[in-house]
Amino acid sequence: MTDTTDHRGRNPGGRNEPRDAAEAHGDAYPPTDAMLDAPVDPDFAKASADRLRAAWKTPTGWRYLSAVNNSEVGAWYSLTAFFFMLCAGVLALLIRVQLAVPENDFLPADTFNQFFTMHGSAMMFLFAVPMFEAISILLLPAFLGARDMPFPRLSAYGYWCFLIGGVFVLGSVLFGVGPSSGWFMYPPLATKSEGMGADIWLLGLSFIEVASIAAAVELIVGALKCRPPGMRINLMPLYAWYVLVVGGMILFAFPPLIAGDFLFELERSFDWPFFDPERGGDPMLWQHLFWIFGHPEVYIIFLPSIAIAAMVIPTAAQRPIFGYSWIVLSAVGTGFLSFGLWAHHMFTTGLPALSLGFFSAASEAVVIPTGVQIFAFLATLMVGRVTWSVPMLYIAGSLAIFTAGGLTGVMLALAPMDWQVHDTYFIVAHLHYTIFGGMVFPVMAGVYYFYPFFTKKQMSPRLGRWAFWLAFAGFNVTFMPMHFAGLMGMPRRVYTYPGDIGWDLPNLISTVGAFVVAAGFLVFAWDLIRPKGRQPYTARNPWGGGTLEWSHDVPDQAWGVRSIPYIESRYPLWDQPKIVERMDAGRYYLPDAEEGKRETLVTTVLDAVPVQCLRVGGPTWITHLAAAFTGGAFIFPTFHWYPPAIVCGVLAVACVIWWLWTGTARPPEKTHKEIGLGLTVPIYVSGPAAPGWWGMWITMLADATAFASLIFGFFYFWTASADFPPDGAAHAASGWVWAGAAALTVSWALTRYARRANRAAQVGIARASLATAAALTALGAGAMLWSAHSAGLDPTSHVYPATVWAILVWTAVHVSAGCIMQLYCLAGSLFGKLTPEYDADLWNVSLYWNFMAATVLVSAAVVDLLPGMI
Amino acid sequence: MRVRLRIRAGVASACALSLGGCTGVQSVLDPAGADAEVLATLFWVLLSGAVVLWLLLNGAFFYVTRMRVRPHSRKIGEAVIIGAGIAFPTVLLAILLSYGLSIMPDQRAPGDGLTVRVTGEQWWWRVEYLPQDGGGPVVSANELRLPVGARTEIKLTAAKVIHSFWVPNLGGKMDMFPGRETRMALEPTRTGVFRGQCAEFCGTSHALMAFPVVVLPPEEFEAWLAKEREDAAAPADAAAERGREVFLAEGCGACHAVRGTPAKGAVGPDLTHVGGRRTIGAGTLPATAEGFGQWLARTDHIKPDVRMPTYRALPEQDLIDLATYLKGLR
Amino acid sequence: MAQHREEKTELKTFSEEQSSLWLIALGPTIWALHFIACYAATAVVCAKLDRLAEDGWLLRAMIGTATAVALALIAWTGWRSWRQWDFLDDRDHVHHRPVTEHRHEFLGHASFLLACLSFVGVLYVALPAVFVTGCV
Repeated sequence: MTDTTDHRGRNPGGRNEPRDAAEAHGDAYPPTDAMLDAPVDPDFAKASADRLRAAWKTPTGWRYLSAVNNSEVGAWYSLTAFFFMLCAGVLALLIRVQLAVPENDFLPADTFNQFFTMHGSAMMFLFAVPMFEAISILLLPAFLGARDMPFPRLSAYGYWCFLIGGVFVLGSVLFGVGPSSGWFMYPPLATKSEGMGADIWLLGLSFIEVASIAAAVELIVGALKCRPPGMRINLMPLYAWYVLVVGGMILFAFPPLIAGDFLFELERSFDWPFFDPERGGDPMLWQHLFWIFGHPEVYIIFLPSIAIAAMVIPTAAQRPIFGYSWIVLSAVGTGFLSFGLWAHHMFTTGLPALSLGFFSAASEAVVIPTGVQIFAFLATLMVGRVTWSVPMLYIAGSLAIFTAGGLTGVMLALAPMDWQVHDTYFIVAHLHYTIFGGMVFPVMAGVYYFYPFFTKKQMSPRLGRWAFWLAFAGFNVTFMPMHFAGLMGMPRRVYTYPGDIGWDLPNLISTVGAFVVAAGFLVFAWDLIRPKGRQPYTARNPWGGGTLEWSHDVPDQAWGVRSIPYIESRYPLWDQPKIVERMDAGRYYLPDAEEGKRETLVTTVLDAVPVQCLRVGGPTWITHLAAAFTGGAFIFPTFHWYPPAIVCGVLAVACVIWWLWTGTARPPEKTHKEIGLGLTVPIYVSGPAAPGWWGMWITMLADATAFASLIFGFFYFWTASADFPPDGAAHAASGWVWAGAAALTVSWALTRYARRANRAAQVGIARASLATAAALTALGAGAMLWSAHSAGLDPTSHVYPATVWAILVWTAVHVSAGCIMQLYCLAGSLFGKLTPEYDADLWNVSLYWNFMAATVLVSAAVVDLLPGMI
Repeated sequence: MRVRLRIRAGVASACALSLGGCTGVQSVLDPAGADAEVLATLFWVLLSGAVVLWLLLNGAFFYVTRMRVRPHSRKIGEAVIIGAGIAFPTVLLAILLSYGLSIMPDQRAPGDGLTVRVTGEQWWWRVEYLPQDGGGPVVSANELRLPVGARTEIKLTAAKVIHSFWVPNLGGKMDMFPGRETRMALEPTRTGVFRGQCAEFCGTSHALMAFPVVVLPPEEFEAWLAKEREDAAAPADAAAERGREVFLAEGCGACHAVRGTPAKGAVGPDLTHVGGRRTIGAGTLPATAEGFGQWLARTDHIKPDVRMPTYRALPEQDLIDLATYLKGLR
Repeated sequence: MAQHREEKTELKTFSEEQSSLWLIALGPTIWALHFIACYAATAVVCAKLDRLAEDGWLLRAMIGTATAVALALIAWTGWRSWRQWDFLDDRDHVHHRPVTEHRHEFLGHASFLLACLSFVGVLYVALPAVFVTGCV
């Protein structure tokens, strides 16, 4: 502690004087020791605790399902994902039974193909990614001493979407109509496949992907804006850093897949030939879009699990993590580099060797940050004094398995090596080593470690060791021989194989091992769900951890923390001796709920200075309705029942509007509020200080990425085919394209102008601008579509008109959503929800329109200017 | 000759007829081609390095968590991160990457003699030999014959869906796309029979899409190719003659070609010399009279979703004659 | 008027926060742009300018130029973040105190490390051009 600056962040004579929001708070912030030592009036403490308890009360009885608090939604989410994982595991066992002996006829070929397709899809989309979101929803607020996520109803909506979509997709296997083209759904096999399997995959999983993005947006905003006062960005728990990185990766990785799904479903439903080589399409485009998603996906599921290790290891070593900056480097670095790996799934597609080389290089480069993380953990354990525990056992197992998978990954990253073993059982072994070591075992470590936090009970160390050794030994027995089978030439996804070329023994061993793994999971599942009613509560901080989640009371209270502390360390429970006592006493921020509303603190991004007391939503059924109708809009089209789908879509939009109108950005009864320790912050903020604005910004990044993927498709068709656009092809009518673009650009300008006018209290002008803008939007969208229709572009004839139509439809649908938003703001202004002081909606909508202006201009340029140039 | 039709149907490997064990006919680790040899060496080098690194890393973890749990100095911690976490991997990976990149151009080198065009179908292989001296393509199916010591250019494409062409003993794999041509070259270094298989999931019977690869001395290969170019042999006996009549009467020629007969279909495999191949049904059954009989009587059972209809309804004698005829098409 | 000033302060704070966060992402972003440039150049040259690609010099020149530019930009980022880290003043590389200086230097430190990683990443990605010629 050689630091000369004082504890409160004032840096006399320092170069980097804080010029931030802290100044606005004057002497009240940051709190001094004297302020924190002042006793809390016992009567007030009791009364405020009662009010707080009432505000955060979890609904009981059947109303329990209307809960939106992160601890409920997170728990449902995790258990559902775990259940889907067990289902996908059963499919794996059936697959292994079929492959136990050569020429087996346990499963028919088509059933086998459905099973492996569903095993992969479910493990990825229904377990790995949702599990990250579930655990993060459950844990992140606790790490940050927050009461809830910034948009709790959004997490509830995401959960119900996930549940509906997951049951629909998984259930299809029970009826024998599941997708059977592999989890990667390569066209033309998947576009031409009969039955509705491929549609179930596309629509069901798109639905879940949208929910995933929603969760990612919320988690990013949570980590950036809902930290406790004083938790500057250099003090954030590493888990929050990983959440930021992984959330960011989801924003850029999922949209290309959603764009791909959009094109794919247009081909399947309406015969637009994006992937059909006979009409100029190209199946390779799907491979690019799928793997631009697919490889970051691997790191999306790996990094959060590393994040769990980053929370477990300092506790085991009883010292702060060693090399915090190094770990941040590796998390951010891995996040970026993982986007340069996608074509290593396409090493055998005949791309130029030079192109393969770039991807080979990036695939090797990503090993460096991954290694840094592992060595930072090793260094932490070296310089600390390690207490061995069940979670550490799982961490050790995960390291052993993950490094084996990582090292085969280093081999596979070299394209020539991949030319041999690509799509063989060697890959099956490699990917399971990375995912079991990089995700499953760390998550199990996390469950053992955090179980006392979730339930205030302990899981059994004895059962934990049994589960570990069964799963660990069984895993290696299952997957180690697969390396050998692959090198002996066994391709993936074969339902049968001949008995005389040396594959029978490794396959039999693998099958035996698979059942041992299953036994391990059964023990684990039993330990997880067995009744622990008679077991006494655990200690408040049973492992001696240093982060805020261990400050929660025993038994747990729905409010999370009694008061939101001021943070001065990465490990406040170790370094701030009186913190828990003061939190419990209600000495810190927001100890009360005077108005009976659920509130949490919003702080600045870098230095976590309090800027707002955010009111968050409580229990509701609107999210269930919205999720059910959204589900209908995605599920009915798989049966080609379009009218009910459209009705559901409209109702879903109506539900969302109702939900936003009644639950968000309502003008408060007073502008500011005292939140404790003499600090007063606004209740309502708009623009860049508001979480909603950040949510919009982040969502639009994802949306822009999806749009960019469509535009990439246009360029891709141009490079990949000699006749794009074909000679003499009809083009969209120039005049209409630009008329539409002009109308929409004016609509954008008017929306922005409306925001300024409204701020300046020129409400009439603002309303007129919004009304005009909405009308222009409708006209502009119509003109854009008419430009293709009037020119006679037939989207089923060739990929060029199909691409033009896809871009125009995308644009029109997006500006239509923008039109609804303009009308929403207009209605808000008319009915007093939106005033010159309270204008968050208008800020968010004009931000949306900034992105729309760019979308419209790019669309117009690509559709009209580009074909002439290339 | 009496053919038993009811023996258990199953998957036959390419070497079903060869003597002794067949382990290694589809193995990366038993190279028989110039490209595969380089790749096998690459694998062994990488594997030995990986084993050493795995032991070091996990040994270190075991040491610090289970053997010497008292704190080490911070200096050692820093040295571990910077030395073992950054410097060492950066250098090692750069070396490995250079090694991997340096062998790519040779693997992509073009062929220097014969060209073979292979088209992936669901679920069989259309094979056309295009010799340098011209004379038009020699059409065959489901078996590849190559001369030893020469680098044969392989042009790849697919009919409907994506497949992948792979003969592990000879070299790496390359995907086959509808509407696009990819290429590779194979350079066998010893004679023998190997097995290739489709490595990209291509539908229900993806598992049943293999083919034997027969590597011959150059002169034997030339003789074989000259014979393969000829029209089909005339039926050798009365049974085969009857079989030919059944073949034509049942309309087999709508899908299959037998050169020198009215059968000119191009939907299914060319059968001109099918009796001389080692397997039928794309590496599924041995090309024996029994094999043909089974294939005709239980087609959809042997290969689910196959386009060819089953001829179970034919009188048994017709099936036997048909099988005899086909086996005679050497 | 007060409203207006508040709005301006908000935007100013936001933009300062943003630029400091962007510095972290700058090195890897340059790496990503370099990667995309190399990939796109190869794809376009090999698909559309096959004749020019034959001897390989066109692609090598393009990749070489992109690499030089990317390395220079990353070096500049690294230099800026090294200054922000200001390691030599107190030899601090832990940054665990709740003060603005530590937050500031932490972001500099993380950006510096990321610049180093991106530098190595760009070198790796340029390596294929040394070994592979043309569009084989």
